[in-house]
Amino acid sequence: MNKLVSVLLWPAIAVIGAFAFAALALGRGESVNSVWLVTAALSVYFIAYRFYSKFIADKVLRVDASRPTPAVRHNDGLDYVPTNKWVLYGHHFAAIAGAGPLVGPVLAAQMGFLPGTLWILVGVVIAGAVQDFIVLFVSVRRDGKSLGEMIKMELGPIPGSLALVGVLAIMIIILAVLALVVVKALTGSPWGLFTIFATIPIALLMGCYMRFIRPGRVGEASAFGVVLLLVSIFLGRVVAEDPTWAPLFTLSGPQLAWALILYGAVAASLPVWLMLAPRDYLSTFLKIGTIVALALGIYYVAPLLAMPATTRFIDGTGPVFSGKLFPFLFITIACGAVSGFHSLISSGTTPKMIENESHMRFIGFGGMLAESFVAVMALTAACVLDPGIYFAMNAPAAVIGTTAESAAQVISNWGFTITPEMINQTARDIGETSILSRAGGAPTLAVGMAQILGQALGGKSMEAFWYHFAILFEALFILTAVDAGTRVGRFMIQDMLGHVYKPLGNTEYLPANLLGTGLCVGLWGYFLYQGVVDPLGGINTLWQLFGVGNQMLAGIALLLCTSVLVKMKRQRYVWVTLLPTAWLLITTLTAGVQKIFDSDPKIGFLALARKFSDAAAQGTVLAPAKSIAEMQRVAFNNYLDAVVCGFFVVLVVAMCIFAVKICLQALKAANPTAQEIPPLAAAQGSPA
Amino acid sequence: MTAAPRKGDTAAMLHMDHPSAEDAAQGGLRARARILCSACRQVFGMPDYERYLAHAAERHPGTPVLTRGDYFVQAIERKYGTGGARCC
Repeated sequence: MNKLVSVLLWPAIAVIGAFAFAALALGRGESVNSVWLVTAALSVYFIAYRFYSKFIADKVLRVDASRPTPAVRHNDGLDYVPTNKWVLYGHHFAAIAGAGPLVGPVLAAQMGFLPGTLWILVGVVIAGAVQDFIVLFVSVRRDGKSLGEMIKMELGPIPGSLALVGVLAIMIIILAVLALVVVKALTGSPWGLFTIFATIPIALLMGCYMRFIRPGRVGEASAFGVVLLLVSIFLGRVVAEDPTWAPLFTLSGPQLAWALILYGAVAASLPVWLMLAPRDYLSTFLKIGTIVALALGIYYVAPLLAMPATTRFIDGTGPVFSGKLFPFLFITIACGAVSGFHSLISSGTTPKMIENESHMRFIGFGGMLAESFVAVMALTAACVLDPGIYFAMNAPAAVIGTTAESAAQVISNWGFTITPEMINQTARDIGETSILSRAGGAPTLAVGMAQILGQALGGKSMEAFWYHFAILFEALFILTAVDAGTRVGRFMIQDMLGHVYKPLGNTEYLPANLLGTGLCVGLWGYFLYQGVVDPLGGINTLWQLFGVGNQMLAGIALLLCTSVLVKMKRQRYVWVTLLPTAWLLITTLTAGVQKIFDSDPKIGFLALARKFSDAAAQGTVLAPAKSIAEMQRVAFNNYLDAVVCGFFVVLVVAMCIFAVKICLQALKAANPTAQEIPPLAAAQGSPA
Repeated sequence: MTAAPRKGDTAAMLHMDHPSAEDAAQGGLRARARILCSACRQVFGMPDYERYLAHAAERHPGTPVLTRGDYFVQAIERKYGTGGARCC
């Protein structure tokens, strides 16, 4: 019976997928329905899961269901907890899905829907899901050790330390870019700012309830938290329309940046039960709820894709980010295709909760497929928008000006016809005064979601609600990430400072704590602030820096996986990790080198820095800078960005050399040299 | 993708060595709801006091257990004390 189902089911899925792709590929000249895009993606996921992940599990890794996992051996009810496969899948997905898969695809939509879709689908099957799965496997076989520890074990202490410094650098850039997304979404938006601000007292209230009023009653606190959250969205409209309250919640970009920096410093110093935990619950509810709603909405409304399959901007002249399709598409869409950060989750809490080795395929590989699906939906939501609106929202003011009239004229000249009235009407529909130059993904996605969900539920009159709901959902989990990330960064900084001067490493010592938090906030705050005030910086610079960093981390994780496979004497199958490693190294090194050295100031950091510092030396002020001091700041920031980018490049090249050396040694060895916990010891290990 | 958990198995699969786990197998509505809540708490990463009690009863019988409030504080500190792993 099972066999028969299998024989009929898989060809059927393959045929459906082929039809969907045909609709995407052949529908030139007319709009394609987004359902085809989503269906094509789902077919790819099912087939890749059924065949490729099974191949990896059975042949490459030889997953052994009879081998006790760390959760079974150490079952302590705290960290090591054998967890039901489906529950852990949800838990793992909630941990890996963040703002990344929502922002990257939206930015990449400037090249049309096809390049982004293809990279997300090919990338996730060949690289992303493979990385998550194999890192999880490697960690489970090593007692749930973290990525840094495993690199130290398998590649040596120097690569281990290098990887840790790299992770900290990427962390700082991520926090800055995420905070920047929030700034871009909330600038001059009293409605949005009020609802986000309201989450602070709501979280404090929930925290106190769970701590003092009804200790430990998390469910009750969450229930009223969600209700209050929804109320705050409606209240936001009242505030935005009120002549006395609205100006209080209308902040400029730099003001918001300072507010976020202050927030990060204070939030990361509060006890975790007071704000971080309750807010994390709220954000997880909204995250899962919104993703499900968006999937249902796309199938129910079946909107047409207004964006063409490819636009002229694949030649590298796009307004949202500069640079050609190769290599920049592949670093703009990181999460959703392959995300290095996942290697930290797959070697974090998840491996300590795996009940049986046979579950790893579903949780590691399958979990990443779900994240990829989120990316496809984000891309869909951006491409459902009228392209004119899309470019009005994402092109910088330096290109399209600051009025609806100038924006409409520039964008229409690109071949995407739009009138000022359409731009203003869209702003009115979502309850905002302007939609121009809100790069960063969140607002674009929110408008797309508002249109899809508005058509499904509530019509035009509800669009403003859905827009602010979507902004709230993204800002909420970004603010949680800023809070938690600052704490993680503080621990890493203290760990490093501890090597220099011992007392600074003591996490219980208040001055050392404050120093660590201050350094961490100062670092990401600097990049955030420069992103807000630098007329040429912002998302255009920071997102690509983040993309390079994140993909480099993926490259490092895959280098570890490759080395482990070779050390296990499975070199016959090493192409499974070597192929994505090679592709990531090629794209990110090309992108990294171009970002630093390209002679076009729109792409190369050094070229832009030189252009501005030379002009400043001659006393000329180049637009959009307004003074010599501003010119010098632009130059300095670009030199700094070049240094950070150069650090990522050097780091990954160094890791590559270490990995090659280890692999060559392992090939010469007669026996497997991977440092797994042997199956016998694993079976005998007494439960704690 | 993979076969859905069989109905009668849910209690065992969730490791709910709960007094009413047998009710669940027989379809006790309340017990089922409890199992569902427990699963949700685990997905959202919330402290699950009942689960802790079950673990304590199975692994460390006779030793005193934490109150709900104390368990909550400890579990939260454990999960978020170092920032907690999360993605971009």
